[in-house]
Amino acid sequence: MQSNHLAPINGPERSVPIDDAQALPASPAAAPLGVRLRMWLFGAVSALPNLIFLAVVILFWQFISKVWLPRIDPQMSVLMPAPTTIAVTAAGMIASGELFYHMIASLKREVFAFLFAATAIPLGIAMGWWRQVYSQVNPIMEILRPIPPLAWIPLSILWFGLGDEQNEFIIFLGMFFPILVNTIVGVKNIDPNLVRAARSLGAPEHKVLIRIVLKGALPQIITGVRIGLGVGWMALVAAELVGASSGLGFLINDARSMLRTDTITVGMLTIGLIGLLIDTAIRVLSRRLLPWSLALGK
Amino acid sequence: MGRLAVRGLSKVYGKRDAPNSITALRDVSFEVPNHQFCAILGHSGCGKTTLLNIAAGFEQPTAGVVLVDDVPIREPGWQNTMIFQDYALFPWMSVYQNIVFGLEMKGWPKHKRNGITHHYIDLVGLEGFADTYPHQLSGGMRQRVAIARALAVEPRLLLMDEPFAALDAQNRSFMQDELVRIWQREPKTVVLVTHSIDEAIKLSDCIAVMTRRPGRVKEFIQVDLPRPRDEDDSAYLKLKRHLRNLIHDETGDR
Repeated sequence: MQSNHLAPINGPERSVPIDDAQALPASPAAAPLGVRLRMWLFGAVSALPNLIFLAVVILFWQFISKVWLPRIDPQMSVLMPAPTTIAVTAAGMIASGELFYHMIASLKREVFAFLFAATAIPLGIAMGWWRQVYSQVNPIMEILRPIPPLAWIPLSILWFGLGDEQNEFIIFLGMFFPILVNTIVGVKNIDPNLVRAARSLGAPEHKVLIRIVLKGALPQIITGVRIGLGVGWMALVAAELVGASSGLGFLINDARSMLRTDTITVGMLTIGLIGLLIDTAIRVLSRRLLPWSLALGK
Repeated sequence: MGRLAVRGLSKVYGKRDAPNSITALRDVSFEVPNHQFCAILGHSGCGKTTLLNIAAGFEQPTAGVVLVDDVPIREPGWQNTMIFQDYALFPWMSVYQNIVFGLEMKGWPKHKRNGITHHYIDLVGLEGFADTYPHQLSGGMRQRVAIARALAVEPRLLLMDEPFAALDAQNRSFMQDELVRIWQREPKTVVLVTHSIDEAIKLSDCIAVMTRRPGRVKEFIQVDLPRPRDEDDSAYLKLKRHLRNLIHDETGDR
């Protein structure tokens, strides 16, 4: 969890200069909707062969669960629910609203924790911009940062009791440091000539900070948020395993006591899917909002 | 107005008289009359960029002073704007937003900003590119934006740090002509740093030739050739030979 705090540094964008004559604002969003849809469909269809191996694995899994395991030991087959069983269970959990209920509980914690973890952005900007702030605050951060969020669980239970606050605290810890570290890096990597240019055009210090430093660090900050939300999501499930009465982590732990391996698997897949969705959403959003940042667009 | 006076300027990096201190400039003095174009010519490492940084207010001199209309420069601001070699355009701002930035900082009302910005977009020949972003432009076009952005705040002194060094030879020559055209339409006191003899002669009214470190002004030359300047003209070639000899003396070990 700690090792991927620092994303690869996005250098200042360097696109290939084009000739004066053909320098037209070219962006993929400019194509009409119909064309884009067709391009997307074509891409999706041509990617289908990549899924052959996955299909084979699922079929093999189905065979093991439904044919092979029951034959050697019927007791064992319960440990490995078949894909079809999982699908039926998932449909039932969606219909009853159970899955949705736990999903919302988890997402709510993730969002609340993020609201607090977002304080890492102003702190990171201050640390990246003012050397004094950095040298004073950094020692504290260096001590706290390597402590895995999960190591805080015992203490946090004593502080907050079992419940939402305790969960959110653990998630907050998972999010805070990736956002902080990336914000600091983002600020420190701003081209010093941009700051000089702004000052040379008469920008006072607070305008430099908002319009140049914050803006210039934004791609790296968003990378930090992406990593932070990912780490937070992992920490969330762990926190819910220990001290919660709702949420996806609770769901899969609760199902364990009743040997409902199918429910566990549905929960696990949901956790993975939501993690992927959060990550993709931020990537798409940042590409939309920061079209100038080619480094992030990939 | 924009009368530039550099008086007894020295810059020492590190503690003075310490063994590892570097004297970048030593007692540099010269004057540039209002609306004249002055080139500072010298090898890399002769302190010409240091001189420019002090004139822009980015660095403080160890001794001496840079005056614009008898007012010493102490900090960066719109009166003494800089154009950078790597353009330093704000990548998250469109061409229009880049150029209007300085006017916003000056606190000018919106209707006034709009007119001025479009005037400068047209002046540098970027009509139709107002909403384009820097990464969509070629090097020459980016430099046009940088020139427009610096001119829009109506500086008294325009500083240029090897502005065409990143361009290919053809574009460089073209942009030099463009700069002269723009400067003749909007006269400004310009200080341009370069290591190209041709660029200095082609553009300038006066040339300050710098020695190697510690940088001093070796010779201050007035260029009285008519514009546009003809590279095959005998006076041009004579001046070029003279400058080459001056520069040549500064190469090699001392």
